[in-house]
Amino acid sequence: MRREIPFIITLVVGLVFLLAPLTAGNIPLVGQPFSFITATYFSPWTTIVAAFATGLASVNLLRIHANSISRKRAGWYNSVALVFALAFFFVYRTAVELLPANKALAAGYANYFNNILSPLSAAMFAVLAFYIASASYRAFRARSLEATVLLVAAVLVMIGAAPIGAEIWDQFPVIQRWLLAVPNMVGQRSIIIGAAIGGFATSLRILLGLERGHLGGE
Amino acid sequence: MSIVKGNLFGFYALIVCSLLIVAVIRATKAGKFTPVLRRIAGLEAIEESIGRATEMGKPIHFSPGIADITGSDAPQTFAALEVLAYVTGLSAKYDADLIVTIRIPNVLPLAQEVVQQGYMAAGKADMYKEDTVRFLSNEQFAYIAGVLGIFARQKVAANIMIGGFWAESLLMAEGGAQAGAIQVAGTANMHQIPFFVAACDYTLIGEEIYAAGAYLSQDKNKLGSIAAQDYIKLALIAMVFVGAAMATSGSQWLVKVMSK
Repeated sequence: MRREIPFIITLVVGLVFLLAPLTAGNIPLVGQPFSFITATYFSPWTTIVAAFATGLASVNLLRIHANSISRKRAGWYNSVALVFALAFFFVYRTAVELLPANKALAAGYANYFNNILSPLSAAMFAVLAFYIASASYRAFRARSLEATVLLVAAVLVMIGAAPIGAEIWDQFPVIQRWLLAVPNMVGQRSIIIGAAIGGFATSLRILLGLERGHLGGE
Repeated sequence: MSIVKGNLFGFYALIVCSLLIVAVIRATKAGKFTPVLRRIAGLEAIEESIGRATEMGKPIHFSPGIADITGSDAPQTFAALEVLAYVTGLSAKYDADLIVTIRIPNVLPLAQEVVQQGYMAAGKADMYKEDTVRFLSNEQFAYIAGVLGIFARQKVAANIMIGGFWAESLLMAEGGAQAGAIQVAGTANMHQIPFFVAACDYTLIGEEIYAAGAYLSQDKNKLGSIAAQDYIKLALIAMVFVGAAMATSGSQWLVKVMSK
């Protein structure tokens, strides 16, 4: 039953979600459309399951870092900061929810959240620029025919896209546009079509119970 | 009840493709048809990378991406969990430490189950520890900061990233490269594939991640479905040629049929 119940739930819910956007009108004998069933009965369940999963994830996080602190593992002070932040935001948010009339409390929460998380996220995103440079350097070393083609195409696209490219030779932007619109587009579309069919076949295998890896077995 | 206008072609295509996949799977299971998958270097390299991690006495990092188990990106996560089961088996075989990092809370219990069952199946249940599967954060950049911290502290020797990845793909791949890890990555997210190609040793491109489960397990159900995918692709290629020829000759028939 440990395998059968998840399979039955997956099949029924999967079929309903699949048919909801494709069909209109009431289901015979049920008297309601598929879209109504998904919105009214199933969507709240996804929220509930997600809330439980978030709770489980928080417990996982807390246990790992509490262990790290109690055993004084390397960098345990980072774990203290994490546990403190987790507790602080949990208590603060609970207070905001319990006292909805207190606008200053809600504004303070948003301030803490936006002024800490947003800059930190932006900083991580900014690191990407440097990583693009270092990854490009490695990828563009002409060690093989493929890498050489990549290097030549990349240089042509970069020169064609930069204003100086057209000043050097007016055909650079034309070559750049052709590279993006023809060989690049052909490759992208073939990958997208292949991935879409692969995703569809994987979904079908899951619906039919042929793919059970996520349930911990073949 | 009726089919929504504009979805009729899609609805029938869905039924035909589903029936085709089921038929090819049945033929494969009955032994009437034996699909052979081409060699996928990235999947072959997983064992090599885990062997290297074992020799170096360093852990393996696995990320199933940051896609949820709902929505159009869900198949990528399920494909990743298939690979995770294989990686867990190899980790048990070689006695190599495995670290699985998670961003999406919904994926956590599934990944825990996959790893726990994998170790139990290999007779090494004690290899599963509390911190083998770790939830880091459901914020994208906080998650990647956590992963980079693990790379820096534990110097992982193998970094396997299969699933749905977005802006964090290059951060994770470059972080792994700087830690000196052998890296195998795969995603169906078109815009992240170039980053993985540039920064990783092996990359699974698009549909290859969906073939991973079949390739690694050689399960007939999965092999049959991969073969059916190729038949669907052939039909689509034929439709592209027919559509191009008809559009060139001024006929809108195929466009009208597909818009019904």
